[in-house]
Amino acid sequence: MQTRKLSKYLLAILGYFSMYSTCYSDIASAQWWLKNELTPSTLSYPQQLEEMQWFIDAAKPYQGLQIRVVSERIATHQYEATVLAKAFYEITGIHVVHELTGEDDVIKKLSAQIMTGQNLYDAYVNDSDLIGTHFRSGNVVALSDFIQNQGKSVTLPSLDLADFIGLQFTTAPDGKLYQLPDQQFANLYWYRHDWFSNVQFRTEFKRLYGYELGVPQNWQAYEDIAEFFSVHVRRIDGRKVYGHMDYAKTDPSLGWRMSDAWLSMAGVGDKGLPNGLPVDEWGIRVEQCKPVGASVSRGGALNGPAAVYAIDKYVDWLNRFAPTESKQLNFTQAGEWPGKGVIAQQIFWYTAFVADLSQPGLPVVNSDGTPKWRVAPSPVGKYWQSGMKSGYQDTGAWTLLNNTPIDRQKAAWLYAQFVVSKTVSLKKTLVGLTPIRRSDIDSEAMTQQAPYLGGLVEFYRSRGRDVWTPTGTNVPDYPHLANYWWRHISQIVEGKITTQHGLDAFAADVDKHLLALSQHPHPCSPKLNPEKSADYWLAQPGAPKNKITSAEKGRTLPYQEAINVWR
Amino acid sequence: MFGVNRHWATRLIAACGLLSCFAVHGADIELYTYEVAPFAVYENGKPSGLLIEVLDELFKRSDLSYQIQFVPLKRAMITVQRQAHKCVLPVARSQEREVQFQWISPVLITRFGLYSKPEQSFPLTTLIDAKPYRIGSFLGSGIGEYLANLGFTVELSSTTQQNFAKLNRDRIDLWAAELISAKHIAQANGVSLEPQLVFYTALGAMACNQNMPQAQIQLLQTQLNMMYQDGFMGRLYHSYGVDI
Repeated sequence: MQTRKLSKYLLAILGYFSMYSTCYSDIASAQWWLKNELTPSTLSYPQQLEEMQWFIDAAKPYQGLQIRVVSERIATHQYEATVLAKAFYEITGIHVVHELTGEDDVIKKLSAQIMTGQNLYDAYVNDSDLIGTHFRSGNVVALSDFIQNQGKSVTLPSLDLADFIGLQFTTAPDGKLYQLPDQQFANLYWYRHDWFSNVQFRTEFKRLYGYELGVPQNWQAYEDIAEFFSVHVRRIDGRKVYGHMDYAKTDPSLGWRMSDAWLSMAGVGDKGLPNGLPVDEWGIRVEQCKPVGASVSRGGALNGPAAVYAIDKYVDWLNRFAPTESKQLNFTQAGEWPGKGVIAQQIFWYTAFVADLSQPGLPVVNSDGTPKWRVAPSPVGKYWQSGMKSGYQDTGAWTLLNNTPIDRQKAAWLYAQFVVSKTVSLKKTLVGLTPIRRSDIDSEAMTQQAPYLGGLVEFYRSRGRDVWTPTGTNVPDYPHLANYWWRHISQIVEGKITTQHGLDAFAADVDKHLLALSQHPHPCSPKLNPEKSADYWLAQPGAPKNKITSAEKGRTLPYQEAINVWR
Repeated sequence: MFGVNRHWATRLIAACGLLSCFAVHGADIELYTYEVAPFAVYENGKPSGLLIEVLDELFKRSDLSYQIQFVPLKRAMITVQRQAHKCVLPVARSQEREVQFQWISPVLITRFGLYSKPEQSFPLTTLIDAKPYRIGSFLGSGIGEYLANLGFTVELSSTTQQNFAKLNRDRIDLWAAELISAKHIAQANGVSLEPQLVFYTALGAMACNQNMPQAQIQLLQTQLNMMYQDGFMGRLYHSYGVDI
């Protein structure tokens, strides 16, 4: 998610900082950074200075140490790697090499460190989707314990954990905090507000579908709008336009398209936040904290009627309404399409792209810098009910491994806290648009920025931030199980197998792996349920849910009402 | 069993005279690699280097035999995709490649650094400090592409040795190189080089044909993990002058 704007900014400040980099040290250095870069902040200048003095003192035993951390390559981490790592070094004397790579590579490296026992990195910014893996593995430092014990002397007194909006995503069923959120972004509905406001389009849509063109509240409305633009409008200003955009290349990113809570939007799982209980959006049922199966025959929902509906809609819309090329695109390639100005709406859109789609000169940005697009809470499928999660939120979070030497853990923990500290985090949020602190979200600086961010601030100020959630603790081995998603879904997309048969095979593979994991001695290790008939489970309350045969009627809301739904 | 097969392959290479012209059969697994000193080289009639030592130990522990050929990476990857019981290494395990192979990883853990001429010093606190400079890398290393994607000025050459020469002739300001190979090249040229900044860690994997038996994949992966855990890999890397 490297942006031209960010690159120019980083280059400009690089030249500026390099003049000063050898002239300052400790508190003088901190003063320079506070005045020249780390503003605005929700702290007053004296409070910032106090926080920096604490870092200087706490870091003294580790001065001269070089630590290595790794994260995915998004604008927030680029800012950390280039600007904040430099600031941290000049203020504390701890040298941080902050590597940027793909999220899949971060997971491979973390797994490699666990498997080989080699201390490849001193800390990882790892998606909280792995929380179910981490707490069962015994390989990850429980931060809530660390803060009270070995890490007490290096834990920032003003860290203010209660201010973080994502702690429920990084806390395990054992009540312990395993990861500290560093950046968060949601997967929301994206649409062309200017096109939706066009009187001619609005009139024509109402004539054809019998209700107002607006922000879709359910999948039927999304489908109607997709059809309207792809089939009826077809061209705007001489250019072919599409009512839907997606991607489907056989590639691990196809897995995220599904595992990033697509089934939750359909309503596959049970009620419960941050994830459905006892059945989550991966279709995995837990009893107590033990995963007991993904197949309907074991009480799971991965191959149930709601999951079939979710996948069928994904494939159907892809075939009928998306650009022909979309089937050959991966996540990264598809991400460029909304900026071209030919896409009317996209049901599955990561807000990490907000900065990219706000670049001046793009066909989707007005001349005054405001966007022609908006984001809004995602529409939900016909199995969804109030009380369920409604979509996905990514929470990249600091993760320490037990096999990292303690002095390196402590130094890395200092850096992790520095980049999320109140001194730093508002500025970081304004650069990367991935908020983690309530105080930042509620700040005046974010209010001023809101008109340029297409609804992002409004979403994060709403209860929606608790309803769009990451993968939960039902998933006991994310790195392994994640591979099943794209391997099985690709077979369905390519038409090699029916949706039902594809999901049957998928659920069977998950159950098989749960069985293998049941050998691992842990109170929350999987323990498969005995198989029963599908009819038995479908007759029980909640997930897996019986087939809903009735059709939905499309439902939309004006933008203002749509963003107020979660207030 | 392993030793017999490897020596047989070695004799065949010598008889053939061309590294890529021979065909070997009869081992449990046929491996492809490519020449990068000091990881895998063909010297004095036999393959040697850090990677070859890893393979010798890995296959011995797994009680499997292997034969190895030196083949350009691109050709090797196409062959391995099409033919069973074949693997290629070391390969970067990218998302695009993930679907095409089964994987055993990491067979190599390599770190990349930025080097200047011995008499020069660049104060590099973070990678972006290298932004104003011309960085040399070589085609196919992956690290040149990584830096280019981050917006750095990268000049690619066909071999990493050429970058050392370009550095000494001031045609590039910094040389982006893997630590062990950079040390090897510098020593061969009678100089000592230390990286200004070690900025990236890469995992090299063994990519195997999709139809290779799962049991073999799992056995090799388990034994590879053990080689790290019991200190074999640490000692081996140390003998090449680098700690993992």
